Amino acid sequence: MNSLERVAATVNFKTPDRTPVIAQVFGHAAVLAGVPLGEYLCDGKKIAECQINALEHYGNDAVFALMDVNVETEAVGSRLKYSENEYFSIDSYAVSDKIDIDKLEVPNPEKAGRMPELLKAARLLRREVGDDVVVVGNAIGPLTITTQLLGMEKALYLAMDYPDVFVKLLDFSTEVCMTLGNALIQSGAHLVIVFDPSASSSVVPPGFFRELELPRLKKVFASFKQAGSTASWLHVAGQIKKILPYYPEIGVDIANIDYYVSPEDVKKILPNMCVNGNIKSLSFTDATPEGIASESANLLGNLEDRGGFILSSGCEIMPNAHVENIEAMVAAVR
Amino acid sequence: MTMENIHENELVMKRLFENIVEGDLGMSVASAEKLYSNGVNAETIVTQCVEPAMKSLNDKCTVDNFNLLEIMLSGRAVMSVMKILFLSKKFPDTTIGTVVLATMEGDAHDLGKNILKMVLTASRYKVVDCGKNCSVEKLIDAASAEEDLLVIGISGLITSTIPLLQKVKEILVKNNLGHIKIMAGGAALKQATAESLKVDYLGETAFDGLDYIRSLHN
Ligand code: B12
Repeated sequence: MNSLERVAATVNFKTPDRTPVIAQVFGHAAVLAGVPLGEYLCDGKKIAECQINALEHYGNDAVFALMDVNVETEAVGSRLKYSENEYFSIDSYAVSDKIDIDKLEVPNPEKAGRMPELLKAARLLRREVGDDVVVVGNAIGPLTITTQLLGMEKALYLAMDYPDVFVKLLDFSTEVCMTLGNALIQSGAHLVIVFDPSASSSVVPPGFFRELELPRLKKVFASFKQAGSTASWLHVAGQIKKILPYYPEIGVDIANIDYYVSPEDVKKILPNMCVNGNIKSLSFTDATPEGIASESANLLGNLEDRGGFILSSGCEIMPNAHVENIEAMVAAVR
Repeated sequence: MTMENIHENELVMKRLFENIVEGDLGMSVASAEKLYSNGVNAETIVTQCVEPAMKSLNDKCTVDNFNLLEIMLSGRAVMSVMKILFLSKKFPDTTIGTVVLATMEGDAHDLGKNILKMVLTASRYKVVDCGKNCSVEKLIDAASAEEDLLVIGISGLITSTIPLLQKVKEILVKNNLGHIKIMAGGAALKQATAESLKVDYLGETAFDGLDYIRSLHN
């Protein structure tokens, strides 16, 4: 089996030749190749080269056309503080009190901000790996785009004080997410992982998620499927035990699980859904390869028999993570 | 003050407590203004309404039962109430200590820091907020500008800022500010230990931070 077949089999609870392993290596790919993170985040060709380099080094089952959580908000009009060696942050938000929400325009992924470079990364990666390895594109979820357009606190206060205006902005963000995701699939991504950290129960209550975000994520993934996506992958960070029961309704095929959610929870809450996770991100910087190996073995012991399991970190593996630790996780499935 | 007045004030105090817990901004401000114009002093309002209301939020601060939205709404109400109390009159003696807060350079998360700021402000600490993405230099400048600084509080949500945090104590010592305590918290840092981070205290929740600061001068 090649990587794509292996992951597809796993998602469908068929028996793969071995358990797939996906290291969530994004900015770390730049560090591994000796490319400054700031350059990587702006250049589709560099992303493709560094991801291929990481694939050759680690030999895991996926590559990522993925920049950061600011791509969409920048394309709409937020200004970023660029940095040479750190992830960027937002200097000024696209939506302020003076902006008329009705006049906001959904950015064209072929033109706006860094989106064209992201599409280029997907195109180059697909050309390079074909259908051997999974090419994962990345779009940010509606709620997180909204909080990135306004600033987290302003967005949440808006949701409470002026729910109609908030919903309008959330619908706009849904269009932004779908447009970019579909363009990524057209450019060659086999599937799109949707990052939605602001939807975490660390931030909004489960009821808020159910009422506002669930229907929009459902729409987003349905449109990706229609565009030809192989699987729907949702990544919400932090504590998500109380929103996992909604995942089947959203149409999720792969659920990212952080270390807050145990294998027992997974078996109970999502008996029929493929999950990836859940080694602590911090362990890749802090722990030893032996520690990672034993965490991996534990997880495999717990979930391999159930099927539908992709060994992975619970979150992004940070740029400064130790190479040997990532190697140890990949080695665990061999 | 008449008996009737005192009775009315008691009712409004109870209402203010509820307004804050419910996160009702408009009502909280109205109740606080009412009390203030009835002649209730700011300190009484803070110790009898604001602090207990914030304390009752403690229960909403556990990992399994965390309600950021409610905490933020209450926090916003508290901040507005404090503004009214502080602006209408100067209360130098109502602040009981100074705290400098920041998230370090490279970290754009600030929700946790802002909650801590609300909790501390509600408990009458003066908070100097250095914001997110704060350089060590900026932090040290802010710390040396404050007299009677009790603590520097650092919130960290991404692990890549840990090496920077580990240097803060040393730099403080070099600048003759070694007496200032450092406390840390936030999702990335609380996976570690105070010792490995080279800080004096590592807190799970914002309220742990409050308890720690209190322990320094009680
Ligand atoms: C919301 C969120 C965001 C929002 C942040 C909005 C904002 N204004 O803060 C957005 C979408 C912008 C975001 C961006 C990113 N994020 Co983020 N995010 C989260 C998420 C889901 C929740 C964090 C949160 O705000 N929780 C709520 C607050 C209130 O909790 P808290 O900070 O822990 O605070 C409580 C206590 O800890 C305590 N406390 C906090 N500080 C202090 C300080 C002291 C002194 C004390 C005593 C107590 C204390 O008080 C609070 C109440 O009790 C976490 C997931 C998680 N596991 O937490 C990821 C997470 C923190 N993010 C992460 C990452 C990687 C990123 C990005 C780098 C993503 C990217 N690749 O572009 C960017 C960051 C860019 C940058 N330069 O920093 C990782 C970090 C991984 C790691 N190993 O370090 C996490 C863990 C998840 C993930 N998907 O990878 N994120």
